Amino acid sequence: MSDDLSSVYPNLAGNPLEGIEFPQEHETDCVVIGAGPNGLIAAMYLAAAGLDVVILERRYEIGGGLATEEILFPGHLVNTHATYHFMTDYMPALTDFDLGTRGLRFHKPNMQLRGRINGDDVLLCRSLEDSRDSMARGSIKDAVTFGDMALRFRKIVDGVLGPATYLPPGAPLDLMEALDRTPVGQDMLALSEQSAVEILQEYSLPDSTLATLLYAACQWGISPQESGMGFMVPLMVDRGMQKAYSYGGSHRLASSFARVILENGGLILDNAEVAAIEMDGSRAAGVRLADGRRIHARKAVLSSLDPQTTFLRLLPEDAAPKEIRSQAESWTWDKWSLMSVFFSVRGKPTLRNADGNLSGDTFETVLGFDDFDDVVAFLESVERGEIPKIAGHFTCESAFDKTLSQVAGNHTCFFQMPAPYDYPWDARRDEIVAEVTDLLDAHFDGFRASVVDAVLESPHEIERRLPNMVRGSIKHGDYNPVQMGNMRPNTDCSATRTAVPGLYVCGASTYPGGMVLGGPGYIGAHTVCEDLEHPFPREYTRGINTYLDTYFPDGLPVA
Amino acid sequence: MAATTEQVPVRSRGDGEVLPRRSSFDFVIVGGGPNGLTAAAYLAKWGFSVCVLEARPELGGGAENHEPSPGFSIDPHASYFYGAAAPALSQLELGRYGLRASTVTNFGGCASPDGRGFFGAGNFFHEGKARDPEVLAQIMGVSLDVSKVFVEFMSALEPHMTDFFRSIYWTPPYDEKWGLTRSDLPWAQVLREALPFFDEVMLEWSLCEMMNAMGLPDPFKTGLLVGSWGNGPHPFHKGMAIPGFAVQQLMFYSNCTPVGGMHALAHSIIRCGLAHGARMYVNAPVTEVLVEDGRAVGVRVDDETALEEKTIRANMGVILNTHVKQLPGLVSGSHLSQDFVQRVDDLSLKGGSLFVANMAVSELPQYTSAGRELHGADYPVGMLLHSTEDQMLDLMRDVYSLNTHPTDPDHYQLWLIVHSAHDATRAPDGYGVITMNLQVPPPEDHRDGPDAVNKASGEIMETIYDVIHQYAPNMTRDKFVKTWVNTPQDSEFRNMAFVGGHWWGMRGSEDEWFSRKPLPELARYRTPVESLYLCHQTSYPGGLCLLAVPYNLMHILQEDYEQISSTTPEWWYPSKWHITDAEGGTR
Repeated sequence: MSDDLSSVYPNLAGNPLEGIEFPQEHETDCVVIGAGPNGLIAAMYLAAAGLDVVILERRYEIGGGLATEEILFPGHLVNTHATYHFMTDYMPALTDFDLGTRGLRFHKPNMQLRGRINGDDVLLCRSLEDSRDSMARGSIKDAVTFGDMALRFRKIVDGVLGPATYLPPGAPLDLMEALDRTPVGQDMLALSEQSAVEILQEYSLPDSTLATLLYAACQWGISPQESGMGFMVPLMVDRGMQKAYSYGGSHRLASSFARVILENGGLILDNAEVAAIEMDGSRAAGVRLADGRRIHARKAVLSSLDPQTTFLRLLPEDAAPKEIRSQAESWTWDKWSLMSVFFSVRGKPTLRNADGNLSGDTFETVLGFDDFDDVVAFLESVERGEIPKIAGHFTCESAFDKTLSQVAGNHTCFFQMPAPYDYPWDARRDEIVAEVTDLLDAHFDGFRASVVDAVLESPHEIERRLPNMVRGSIKHGDYNPVQMGNMRPNTDCSATRTAVPGLYVCGASTYPGGMVLGGPGYIGAHTVCEDLEHPFPREYTRGINTYLDTYFPDGLPVA
Repeated sequence: MAATTEQVPVRSRGDGEVLPRRSSFDFVIVGGGPNGLTAAAYLAKWGFSVCVLEARPELGGGAENHEPSPGFSIDPHASYFYGAAAPALSQLELGRYGLRASTVTNFGGCASPDGRGFFGAGNFFHEGKARDPEVLAQIMGVSLDVSKVFVEFMSALEPHMTDFFRSIYWTPPYDEKWGLTRSDLPWAQVLREALPFFDEVMLEWSLCEMMNAMGLPDPFKTGLLVGSWGNGPHPFHKGMAIPGFAVQQLMFYSNCTPVGGMHALAHSIIRCGLAHGARMYVNAPVTEVLVEDGRAVGVRVDDETALEEKTIRANMGVILNTHVKQLPGLVSGSHLSQDFVQRVDDLSLKGGSLFVANMAVSELPQYTSAGRELHGADYPVGMLLHSTEDQMLDLMRDVYSLNTHPTDPDHYQLWLIVHSAHDATRAPDGYGVITMNLQVPPPEDHRDGPDAVNKASGEIMETIYDVIHQYAPNMTRDKFVKTWVNTPQDSEFRNMAFVGGHWWGMRGSEDEWFSRKPLPELARYRTPVESLYLCHQTSYPGGLCLLAVPYNLMHILQEDYEQISSTTPEWWYPSKWHITDAEGGTR
């Protein structure tokens, strides 16, 4: 029996937990900076590999964009960032660990996306046949065209984009050579050269359908007329019809990752802002926290933060080659951010005159657009820093997750739209809430009268909650041809290794990007294990192996 | 002792099974508040399989933080951690799981409407000022004779402080049936040894009588009385002087907040439990404790939307981290006597229903009472306004005798906590966050109906702003940027175990304390159903996230389970004052 406490307590000098609390110095194998989805996934694999891991989070809660918070206080929770999970069918992290018994459960509503365009309802469903039925209300030809398009996109996502999300990027020439091996690969190469508008306009579909598809393809930050980003169209359209909802809120996904980390001996520190990456000679050897604590990393430091924070703020000036620093300086942030108004309401909002309604609830409802050209013009003016009108998408989360409202009979829902960072948000806050309420009241029965509380979160608020989302960049940096693929965040670091020995980058600003893909974290852990000659704890999924066998039968080219 | 589960085959990628339809653990813990989580961590670290089932979307119970507006971290419930003397800190190695302290050097002060004020309760102990009667006399606004008595008392007690705290909080209550007397109480044993001037009569005093015996004047005296009232022991209830005094000292000696707020304390406990293999589920409401042959053998979880109905078997025991008043609803009536159920129903809800306002402010209050110079650069984190005995009695009369919230501004005795003063992470630059507490009646008792306080919340806030302005003239209305109110009724729907919106479960009265808390047959955490235990802040010694109830419970579980007593780990040490049933029964 020991009682090591009575000798130090009470400590009249000040800190009553002295000698008990987390030490000033701690040593581990790997330090992961940032406990967003990628940091957590990286830490989960590294811990499961048997490495000693510490993951550090600045906020009071882990999860980053996987945040479920009671901002409609008291009693109403919302997912303040990620709500739609696009990659649940591909993310190895979800099947490599038994996350279900750690509390994770996804729902995939059938009515995925309703485009209400100028009074016409377009219904895109998880079930292709239900989508085709919705198209067929115009003509059976539309249904056939849509079906062909959906199938084409599915093949590209299933065969190429899905699995490639979890493998390091190749050099463009290597990739072109590889994709040229199959018709699907060739199709994907051809698509990539085009813009979203060009791709969609090839289809002879009603304007309201094309408008809905364009919004789905571009809403998270793709310029509709920019060439070279065409691969995002099959990805976002296909995944836009396969979105999943994390029951209990998106934070549940972070919690289930955290459970695996802890069960494998990893440590999670929240309220632990990293102030600097510390060097041992030329090697990254740990971090110093804002409170002065030091975590020494014997083997690796992984940063899931944006390139400017990692390379310009945390790393000593002489640690990285000048070129990396100047590339970080010229990093561009998302071309637009999001503005959300979260509501608590009495009763579930019911869409007025819902056309072709199926049983169940609609996941995402697009409102406020007139036609295809209007979507293009809207996004382009948002990109210029304007808010031409209130138009965007709506979701009643509590329809799928009653745990979000702790008040019987009440629901939570949000309206969200692409929005510029540079905008007088504080001055126009009340006005915008009123305009959003007007729009929703026009479409949902008795909406205005049912509102209990409303909170607007502008791009400024996104940045304040998650400073890593600079200028409200939900993807940690713009999606454009020079910041994608092996150029994300730059050609030297896109495979997660950096020019600094021992330092890896594995956040949304690293290939393949943000949106809770879970790619950078998975690839980062893989790379660290490879460099340490330490076995990776799981095999590739079948989809990844098929992709490798098909396109890289001789193995991935060494970068 | 691994958990056994009957896995349902995975249906499709990404569609994991939440809980197997049937599963079994050694212990099932109902409720994921600080006490349930700590019990889980103890048992998991001891080597048993444990499952925690929490009805809410988040673990931690009252140890929660929220960021309702970006950059503003609020404490809807608990604000301070007083449990530095808790054995659990070292036994569970909570530091290893991330616990860090944000030390509150100037715990706070109090001010009365006549302009007198006292500041610096924290550093006056920490910096040793309390040992100099002349300095102390000046700080407290008392004569040298009074301050000498205080210094003599504190100097005698200080070397015994850890034992003093643990003899009250971190020791299982004695069984009333053993027939022990007041002078057998653990803290009586400690005080008898520590204080040369100890008198048995101290054990009968109310806290107010003790403060009067020391000659302490207002506002300091009422500050101390409210310090006790606002944490459990009622300052005017007979026999509660020592527990009430102890709670003040817990504040002065242990005062800190976990870095980031109280939810960080919950995180360290959760992470300790998970690292030792505990399973913890949220949104998992338990509807029934399964009883077979008079023994609790598991629970039924029922959530019609996601978890569906699940039966979770408990091979060894079921531990309820729920309010004592929820016990009869979870156990089928035939297993409990009508007398027991009636006495549970009769337990008072009075004593801790708080109207809480979390306020985002653009300036911190600059209190202008006399004595302002005492705080200097060291901003007082806590502050009691209207700190006079009369005002406290007026408020108590409103709340407990007239069953209404106060309407007279003079009765608004407010307790303010400015966490952003010692923890810069709580608010953005240029802003602060204030938590304000005001005692109001439990909704069930309110003469104007259960939603009376919610309906009046706008008027109540107006008065609160006025009273703050009275003491801090810089706090004009425009300085309050945003306010989030959490009434007792809100607490009840946000957190079902806050019955009555009571923050620490039940009041601290001698007839509901120690061997009688919450009822004599529940004092040692056992219930009328075999292998069913109550481990909640309605159990002894009550709330405050002291990690005391589960530590105490572990003593009882060792008596009840050979598997536990025969596997005592090296890190465990029991209370010095613990008496086993076998020993107690022979007295």
